[in-house]
Amino acid sequence: MLPTAKLLQQQRQPLIRFLGKRTTPTKIDHSPVAHPAAPSNTLPNTFATYRQAAQQHGPLNTTLGSGTIASKSGASLGPIAAPQGAYFDRSELPNRYAKLEWTAAEIEAIESGGASTIA
Amino acid sequence: MLKTSIARSAPRTLGGARIAFRPSPFRPVNSYNQRRGYASEAEEKDVVIIGGGVAGYVAAIKAGQEGLKVACIEKRTALGGTCLNVGCIPSKSLLNNSHLYHQIVHDSKSRGIDVGEVKLNVANLMKAKETSVAGLTKGIEYLFKKNNVEWIKGTGTFADEHTLNVELTEGGERSVRAKNIIIATGSEVSPFPGLTIDEKKVVSSTGAIALTEVPKKMLVIGGGIIGLEMGSVWSRLGAEVTVVEFLGQIGGPGMDSEIAKATQRILQKQGIKFKLNTKVLSGDVSDSSISLKVEANKGGKEESLDADVVLSAIGRRPYTQGLGLDKIGLETDKSGRIIIDQEYRTKIPHIRVIGDCTFGPMLAHKAEEEGVAAIEYITKGYGHVNYGVIPSVMYTHPEVAWVGQNEEELKKAGVKYKVGSFPYSANSRAKTNQDSDGMVKFLSDAQTDRILGVHIIGPAAGESIAEAALAMEYGASSEDVARTCHAHPTLAEAVKEAAMAAYSKPIHM
Repeated sequence: MLPTAKLLQQQRQPLIRFLGKRTTPTKIDHSPVAHPAAPSNTLPNTFATYRQAAQQHGPLNTTLGSGTIASKSGASLGPIAAPQGAYFDRSELPNRYAKLEWTAAEIEAIESGGASTIA
Repeated sequence: MLKTSIARSAPRTLGGARIAFRPSPFRPVNSYNQRRGYASEAEEKDVVIIGGGVAGYVAAIKAGQEGLKVACIEKRTALGGTCLNVGCIPSKSLLNNSHLYHQIVHDSKSRGIDVGEVKLNVANLMKAKETSVAGLTKGIEYLFKKNNVEWIKGTGTFADEHTLNVELTEGGERSVRAKNIIIATGSEVSPFPGLTIDEKKVVSSTGAIALTEVPKKMLVIGGGIIGLEMGSVWSRLGAEVTVVEFLGQIGGPGMDSEIAKATQRILQKQGIKFKLNTKVLSGDVSDSSISLKVEANKGGKEESLDADVVLSAIGRRPYTQGLGLDKIGLETDKSGRIIIDQEYRTKIPHIRVIGDCTFGPMLAHKAEEEGVAAIEYITKGYGHVNYGVIPSVMYTHPEVAWVGQNEEELKKAGVKYKVGSFPYSANSRAKTNQDSDGMVKFLSDAQTDRILGVHIIGPAAGESIAEAALAMEYGASSEDVARTCHAHPTLAEAVKEAAMAAYSKPIHM
């Protein structure tokens, strides 16, 4: 076994390796750095200042104050049931507000354009 | 009004029959919806590309393939930019046909071919060039239609960070809004101070590919790739060509010194004269000829050189004129290149810049890579261009090509390296082709054997360099290339033998 192991150790290891199907890395740092072919290793300050100015009113730099809804937990905002006397849907309204059943006369009146009520 | 909502999958009855509307597992593939994955509902474009050159048109096609709503603004009457219209493509037509002419006149006898009177027809030579150019530019127009790219014919100027005003070629103006804008306006010929380019007597590369007759004497200012290619064309056709170069070496930046010297020797054998370490002081253009006053760099006697045509080939500079960069506050560096980050973004992140008008070598294939990468950064957030492995090719005869670092750069960086070279005079295919000037040179890391640079001067060097570029892209060692079987007899065997020379010994030397 030993001579075989030694022979295997002597085998050339190619530097080329099959990389597999290319995939987009899961974590990419998009923060701007100098272009690899640029003569300078640093970006002008304007890159940072533009981004700061562009984001100051945008969602990235927005911090929510203590009084806003988003700063509170859902449970602390109370039950989600409609308050007394308010309803989310018409079907929840008391029966007196429910749609009445069509009568045969009403249907006939609609179909005859009202003529059946006169006759 | 309240509507009763019924789940689409809920069973319904129709005329007594119970029909189940369940989503079928066999859905027809809606290619339209798939292509439109990144599209916006609004009228504005997802991407507008300014410039229909190699960088711009490639980015436009890639954007179309990715399903983006894309428009490309180009003012030329044909797409393809400098490369296709007045650069790489027309010059390659002239280089190929002038080489054929030269071979017929000078080589056919030794190859056993007796020919009668051979006459050059410059008008037809130019026509052949124009046919090639027209075919290729029309091809891009077709690809635009195929990939739903709108070509806006006109000149674009920034109105604001998201809007471009286009002065249309056919008259009138149009405004285009876009979520992303890519600037790919390319480059233009750098003027030579004191000489006005009229494209007839004092020409740039654009005029050098459109001369109506062979000049008796031609002076080339600049011994870089463009100067040597165009000098070769007119020298083969009968002009007496002298190249004046400020530096002590021809070939321009990146070319290995040993290869540059070999190139100069071969081109001199072909009849081109060289004046290195020489600066042009002034030029005097008269009706009959042009006179250039030149002087050795280190001081010396002033000399006057006469010519019928002077080619100014001192380089190119980024072209961003008329874009209105100042309106949106985009900055350029001292050389006029627009400053970008690693994802081609300017300081305004949705405006990207690719190709000649920004950093990196001014090469069409580099611009193409950036065109694809820029779109991938927009759609996937990730793109790939390896700036360490961008090949360069000079299409003289023999061709000169290289990729990676040269000896001077490695010495400067203090890298220990091994050299392996192999001459084409020992390559069977080159010998049988009676075309064996040149060599292949491998530079590999002394410790790991990883290939650091490959430099070729020889027949079809531009094709052979692709193998070296591929090997370098995958971090190969010279032994990896040497142990790969190459067909016999081929010019590619010279690449294999040079790789063998780098890690061990070549067989045929």
